Amino acid sequence: MVSKLRQSLATLAFTLSAGLMASGAAHSQEIKAASKWGDMNTVTQDLLNRAAGDGNNFLHTNGNYSQTRYYPNRQINVSNVGKLRPAWIFQTEVKESLETSPIVVNGVMYVTTSFNHVYALDARTGEELWHYKHKMGPITVYCCGPNNRGVAVYGDMVFMATLDAKLVALDAKTGKQVWEQEIADPELGYSETMAPTAVDGKILIGTNGGEYGIRGFVKAFDAKTGKNLWTFHTIPENSVGVWATKDATGRDMHRNIDAEKAQLAKTGDPFKTLGGGVWQNPAVDLETRRIYFVVGNPSPDLDGSLRPGDNLYTDSLVSVNLDTGQYVCHFQYIAHDVWDLDSVSPPIITTVADKDGKPIKGILHAGKTGHVYVHDAKDCSLVRFSEAMVPQENMWTLPTKEGARMLPGANGGVEWSPMAINPNLGLTYAINLHQPMTYHVESSNYPAGKLWLGGAFKVIPSEEQWGNVSAVDYNTGKIRWQVKTAQPMIGGILATAGGLVFTGEANGMFKAYDAETGATLWKFQAGAGVNAPPSSYTVDGKQYVVVGAGGNTQIDYKRGNSIIAFTTAD
Amino acid sequence: MTFGVFRAAAAALAVACLGQAALAQSIEEKAQVCAGCHGEAGKPTDKAYPTIWGQNQGYLYLQLRDFKLGNRKNEIMNGIAKDLPREDMMALAEYFSQKKWVNLDQPRASEADVKRSETAITSGQCGACHGADGIGAGTTPRITGQSHDYLLKTMEDFRSKARANNPWMSDILGTLQPEDLQALANFYAGR
Repeated sequence: MVSKLRQSLATLAFTLSAGLMASGAAHSQEIKAASKWGDMNTVTQDLLNRAAGDGNNFLHTNGNYSQTRYYPNRQINVSNVGKLRPAWIFQTEVKESLETSPIVVNGVMYVTTSFNHVYALDARTGEELWHYKHKMGPITVYCCGPNNRGVAVYGDMVFMATLDAKLVALDAKTGKQVWEQEIADPELGYSETMAPTAVDGKILIGTNGGEYGIRGFVKAFDAKTGKNLWTFHTIPENSVGVWATKDATGRDMHRNIDAEKAQLAKTGDPFKTLGGGVWQNPAVDLETRRIYFVVGNPSPDLDGSLRPGDNLYTDSLVSVNLDTGQYVCHFQYIAHDVWDLDSVSPPIITTVADKDGKPIKGILHAGKTGHVYVHDAKDCSLVRFSEAMVPQENMWTLPTKEGARMLPGANGGVEWSPMAINPNLGLTYAINLHQPMTYHVESSNYPAGKLWLGGAFKVIPSEEQWGNVSAVDYNTGKIRWQVKTAQPMIGGILATAGGLVFTGEANGMFKAYDAETGATLWKFQAGAGVNAPPSSYTVDGKQYVVVGAGGNTQIDYKRGNSIIAFTTAD
Repeated sequence: MTFGVFRAAAAALAVACLGQAALAQSIEEKAQVCAGCHGEAGKPTDKAYPTIWGQNQGYLYLQLRDFKLGNRKNEIMNGIAKDLPREDMMALAEYFSQKKWVNLDQPRASEADVKRSETAITSGQCGACHGADGIGAGTTPRITGQSHDYLLKTMEDFRSKARANNPWMSDILGTLQPEDLQALANFYAGR
């Protein structure tokens, strides 16, 4: 209490002195000439639309609406990346899993931490401008750590979704809350860790909860008021599908269709508790007014006996209309998944070669299966899938009570980690995990919003784990290059026009690779797991690369609380 | 007096107290009924009872809810929670969550137990919910510093499904060995 009083007095004193100074400085502020580009602190729709070519800002969680994570500035490049040094380090108040994608608007950076703190920082110096701490409700459920992956920016506001399933809008200048809206009831297993997407006055958000028997969705809210504009249920009321027996790659999934049909006759469609979370941002195609996102696993994860049918649209790429939320198309990778090898990594829109080699608008997605899938954006159909980036063994062995070994383990392949592409090279970059696991099934009834896996996936302690960075030619499906890492990889990746690929590792290493060859060109020891996607920005004519080093809860990597910005030494 | 008779008597007493508590105005008064087992000052009166002072609010609320619904079985607690409205359960959970966690001065685990626990924690991915330091958050309980006997019994009950209000805990503990549970109880109690 005493320290709080001291803080209040100090704040009051600061406010008073700042006010006095402001009155003296007011004139000079008012007559400050606007830049050629106007006041870029206001994020216009046009600015967001042009993000792919914006060499100053980093405006979207995955760089731009196509989610390429390809940053167009080449000031930091293959020839000078060796001179990359920390420009500043900011330490947050929260030493816990850090998955934030820093967003940069005109020299102001927004980062989030576990438990929903938001910081605005001076992107030149790392100096704190404001700090928002969400007042968390008592009910939070999250399977995989109290993570948050960042904010969306739009107009004069920043937006964050919270662990207690709320959407909050903050004043970008002060960090003060403008509005708060409940996205869903956390007591039923809903929670939020993804960053929202802002587009045309709408804030788009999915949901976690595929491990809790939710009914998943993507919702659109009005950016100004928080009003819900539309909801797309990722689980339709008829979730049965076509009784597919093979996965996207043609392998038999060993389904007992007769038993499923008998169960369906007995208990009906399981859509109300079938899961289907959406963990990551949709790609937005403004030309066709469509969004593309991937839907996660069915609930309960490992026990298929309670959920007959294909469990649409779990484990699928789905497209809906941006303005209405109406269904456009989908493609299911694994029908009736009982391994949690679902779809999490955000899709990318880019031009790809179709089966005849002709250029078409394509969608890329990296699965937990370890494949990169390439789709036709027109109808979501599969064009090709890549070579497996990690070992696959005993696919698709059904889980057993005692535990059945199958690779990949349930974390992937590629987890939620976003890919990045280099469109000039036709390569997509993915980070992978190799974590051998056994899959155990154990049937239990819906536990009213509690963790409901229908069994367990268990890491096999005696087997070696590792990871890799893979560059995949999305026009052929071939792996161009691959670099093995000491630990399984989770976090994200950034490609730049400077011919570089940046990504971090659990052991604290943050590295730059040659985008063409995979040669390691630079590395830095961050002191805690670098398990967040990097961003890049340019301010005062100087390009920076920034990344969070806070470790990861899901696979228990060394925690920290650092946001580290790098630039080349003069 | 057998333990069963004692429990029945305690339950009758608790329910009787609840009747008085229901008439009371403040949450502090309502919380008095809990002190009989969970301690006047946060130290439980028996090693079999859990520490609830400083426990996470969401977890305490969900347990009261589950006791009320009968999803978690305990004669005393089922009786106490039976007629509690949601707002009282939430208020009680908030009240106890704001109390300071009491150090039970339990011995640290042996090196062998620590080693065994670390392997079990990795394969069971305990930290994903309970956090690296075992203090949980929201609806996940703090397990670090919890009463050893309660921790062990809870894990055994999850494993045997005698406690059935969290199937995941039953599933994951079902994949561990009984010796792992002993090591984990020693490890978390003594942290």
